Amino acid sequence: MTTRQSALQLASRAFPEPFQNFLVDRFARQLKAELSEKITDEFLEALLRGMEWALLLSGSYRRNIDGFFGVCVFRTRDNKVATTAVFADGHMRIEGQARSTYNVRVTFQDVHALWSFLLSENQDILDSILKNTVDVDGNLNYLYRFGFLAKDLTRRLGVA
Amino acid sequence: MIAVQDISLRDVKLAPALQSLREAYFRAIPEVCVERPRLITQFSAEAGLFERERITSLEKARLYRRVLERRTPVVWHRQGHMRTASGLEEFSFDDSSPFAGSTTSKFKGVPLYPEFMALALWPELWTMSRRQSNPYYIGEEEIRILNLEVFPRWMDHNLTELARARGTEEDRQRMQLLQKFVFFLASKPNCISHTIPDFSRAVREGLRAILNDALERQDRTADPSQQDFYQAMAEVLEGIIVYAHNLSDTAAGMAARTQDAKQKADLTEIARVYGRVPEQPAQTFREGLTTIWLCWTAIHLENPNVGLSLGRLDQVLYDLYRQDIDAERMTVEDAVQLLGYVWLKIGDHVPMVPAAGEQLFGGTGSNQAITIGGVDREGHDAVNELTYVMLRAIELMKLRDPNLNARYYPGVNEKDYLRRLCEANVNTGATPALHNDRAVIQALTASGHTLAQARDYGVIGCVEPGSNGRFYGHSGAILLNLPSALELTLFSGRHRHFGLGNIISMETGDPSTFQSFAEFQGAFNLQLHWVMDQAIALNELFGRTHQQFYPTPILSALFEGPMESGKDLIDGGATLNASGIAIIGFADVVDSLNVIEKLVYGQQPTDSTLFQAITKNYEGYEALLARVRNPDKVPRFGADEVNGEKNAIWLAETLHEATHTRRNYRGGYYRVGYWSMTNHAGFGRFIGATPNGRKDGENFSSGLTPCSGVTPHLTAALHAVANLPAECASNGMAVNLKFTPDDGDRTRMLDNFTAAVAGYFDASADHGTGGMEIQFNVTSHRDFIEAVSDPSRYDQLLVRVSGYTAYFKDLNPQMQKEIIDRTEYRLSSGDAVPYEPFALTKGAGHDN
Repeated sequence: MTTRQSALQLASRAFPEPFQNFLVDRFARQLKAELSEKITDEFLEALLRGMEWALLLSGSYRRNIDGFFGVCVFRTRDNKVATTAVFADGHMRIEGQARSTYNVRVTFQDVHALWSFLLSENQDILDSILKNTVDVDGNLNYLYRFGFLAKDLTRRLGVA
Repeated sequence: MIAVQDISLRDVKLAPALQSLREAYFRAIPEVCVERPRLITQFSAEAGLFERERITSLEKARLYRRVLERRTPVVWHRQGHMRTASGLEEFSFDDSSPFAGSTTSKFKGVPLYPEFMALALWPELWTMSRRQSNPYYIGEEEIRILNLEVFPRWMDHNLTELARARGTEEDRQRMQLLQKFVFFLASKPNCISHTIPDFSRAVREGLRAILNDALERQDRTADPSQQDFYQAMAEVLEGIIVYAHNLSDTAAGMAARTQDAKQKADLTEIARVYGRVPEQPAQTFREGLTTIWLCWTAIHLENPNVGLSLGRLDQVLYDLYRQDIDAERMTVEDAVQLLGYVWLKIGDHVPMVPAAGEQLFGGTGSNQAITIGGVDREGHDAVNELTYVMLRAIELMKLRDPNLNARYYPGVNEKDYLRRLCEANVNTGATPALHNDRAVIQALTASGHTLAQARDYGVIGCVEPGSNGRFYGHSGAILLNLPSALELTLFSGRHRHFGLGNIISMETGDPSTFQSFAEFQGAFNLQLHWVMDQAIALNELFGRTHQQFYPTPILSALFEGPMESGKDLIDGGATLNASGIAIIGFADVVDSLNVIEKLVYGQQPTDSTLFQAITKNYEGYEALLARVRNPDKVPRFGADEVNGEKNAIWLAETLHEATHTRRNYRGGYYRVGYWSMTNHAGFGRFIGATPNGRKDGENFSSGLTPCSGVTPHLTAALHAVANLPAECASNGMAVNLKFTPDDGDRTRMLDNFTAAVAGYFDASADHGTGGMEIQFNVTSHRDFIEAVSDPSRYDQLLVRVSGYTAYFKDLNPQMQKEIIDRTEYRLSSGDAVPYEPFALTKGAGHDN
């Protein structure tokens, strides 16, 4: 966590929840734009950054990961996009590469496939598997929890 | 004894109060209930069970007893949630059921089992109430409880993860295979369930007597594990008794408070009945039903609501029914009303199906089969007056659950009874399913039942037979995508879904280089065994994990075998054990083999054009496709009495040989059956064009039904199925037929309907034991089409899928299309009615 982030988290604790939500809305605006307008190659980055900010700024959102330790890897098949979300002790950290040990690893064809898999209102997971656009390895429960975090954030941002 | 003059009981109608409750039932959408998962999680944590490497029966029993004692004793429900134009809204209704208690705390609930697969609902908690099909209501507080208190505790402790942690590297690779959905589904991560408890002793003697029996046996044995097991049974039985008493006390309290004289009387009677049963022997028909109902709720506390079945209720309850009728304490009409209320209770829950499962299982109920009719253990006619009363109650209620199955023994049961069963199918459009006792009993005796045990069979889940109250057979353990074995054969161990550059199983050679059809069959056999091996190995791993973590003391206490053996069901305590495999895509594979034999290896020289055509989805091969699909050119299963059936018999025997000597972790054997639920649509999406002319992604034929469009005559279609050896299908079969409902005059239609079934069941007509099972949809093509475009007008349209019954509106579009496209026969002529294939449009059928 950067000094700026630590300071923000500390400060946000003093704020009432509506103001915390306002801050989340501001800091996750890139994700909001992605979800309200068009999914671009920046979607995964925006989602993870949005989650990171929300976990820093919102106490109620942070409660979602109380006591949660887990490593979720996201990567494209060609490894051009590869990132790891590490949850530990109420914090989330984003790493710019795919860890080799993980609880769950999601390999996706492109960001649109990932968006469809995680957040689409009309998910057709069988279709994702059918078209081989998403492949999951490991403990699915970690992905389910991550899916909840993602959907809870989009709900808070009003773009669910 | 059958004293009623009119076995159709057509003058018996639903009473207004029951009718009103039924309407509320249809209005209500299922609601997620968090009571069970919250209590189970809390008590598991308090008892340190999350840290254990093994959980004993006694530890589980103490857990369940606490839950039974603590769960909310709901006597009458007052609220539900319904769908409106602006979303889900609460509505109120009057409940007057004589049966208190419920499977969940909701009027119509979704019970959650976090020990198994409930966590799949986690990503959907905020959105499931907005699902287009099969939405669930859930409140914000309940979301909070699941998200923060329940689900996190089970992330590494549900069955799949416990098995993964204990499996080998090979097992983990098999789990990867499972997660692809392409080859098979293994259902143990979700449940075992799929069985029929023994209610007869609970009804006859009461739970206190069973409990005392367990304690006496505990005193007599010196084996510490048996001592613990008997104590476990006593704990859970005491828990059920306490739950009944809590309901009794609650009803008494409500009676004291109400000013309404009728309600006061009703509640006072509930308090009296629940104060007596299930603890004591049932003395009336109503008390017998109450005992079964209360035990049923307890069984569902322990075992997920998938395929648990009630068995031969017309036999278990007949004496009590007869006593009440003879003593004029009850009329036939009263009995129908009581059954109607119990049917609503039985249907008070739906299985949790996450969005990901909609394509495979969407629209399924809990598949709680009830069995009526047939013969008794001595082989005598067992159809009684209660058989007809139950049939009438089913006919009037027209519910998805319970799933009624009727047994018929040709030559022993009366023809009028068979005709009445056919009439019920016409009246309901879809129920009951009919089973031929002669064929089923032969299949069961060939798979290890004694003759008396086989004669006392009941139907489990969809269509699977097993001896009533003594057979722990997990009939739905594995759902096997049979065309995937064909795919591996066609591409020498590769699968188009994964790309033909990857070897998935083993190389068996390029079939275009084979010299004969026998060589192709040999390669197919190898690939089939490979798929079977993967599925069975995984089932065994999951089974052993169940043994370590999920003993079943409640079900064991209500079963024949565990009391005598001193062993939990999960450890092989039942009198009879097995594991079941449902084969999906049988007719497509048979027809593919027929086509390959004739058009590839039947040519001189061998012609492999067909193999090229399937890789191109028949594009550019239209003439070949027309030839393949023409039953006059190529033998087809269900259209050609000799050549079309040869490969069917070979395949059924090959599947039987591949499984029936394999012993499972409980000491039973594997057995195959042919029913597909909705999986013939889901699995079809993973397989490219097949040699029988089926194109990429299209549905497979359901159950054991011949493929649609190639069986122009009913007689030949039925003959083909009836010719298959019954002993090769001891895990049951589903043969789905569609009849035109408005076909001439009703009397003639029923005559022809009855004759068609009798002919199919007839052993003397040169086909072995006769057909084993058959089920119907008797709804017009026009109604189906309209139900797709205007589902609200057809919200109670009941259909047979492939085994279970469902509401048509709840099925996914692909499944709706499959039912619409099934071959429809005119009963007057036995000829298929020609219809164009239904055009699937995006979003169709999803506005329920």
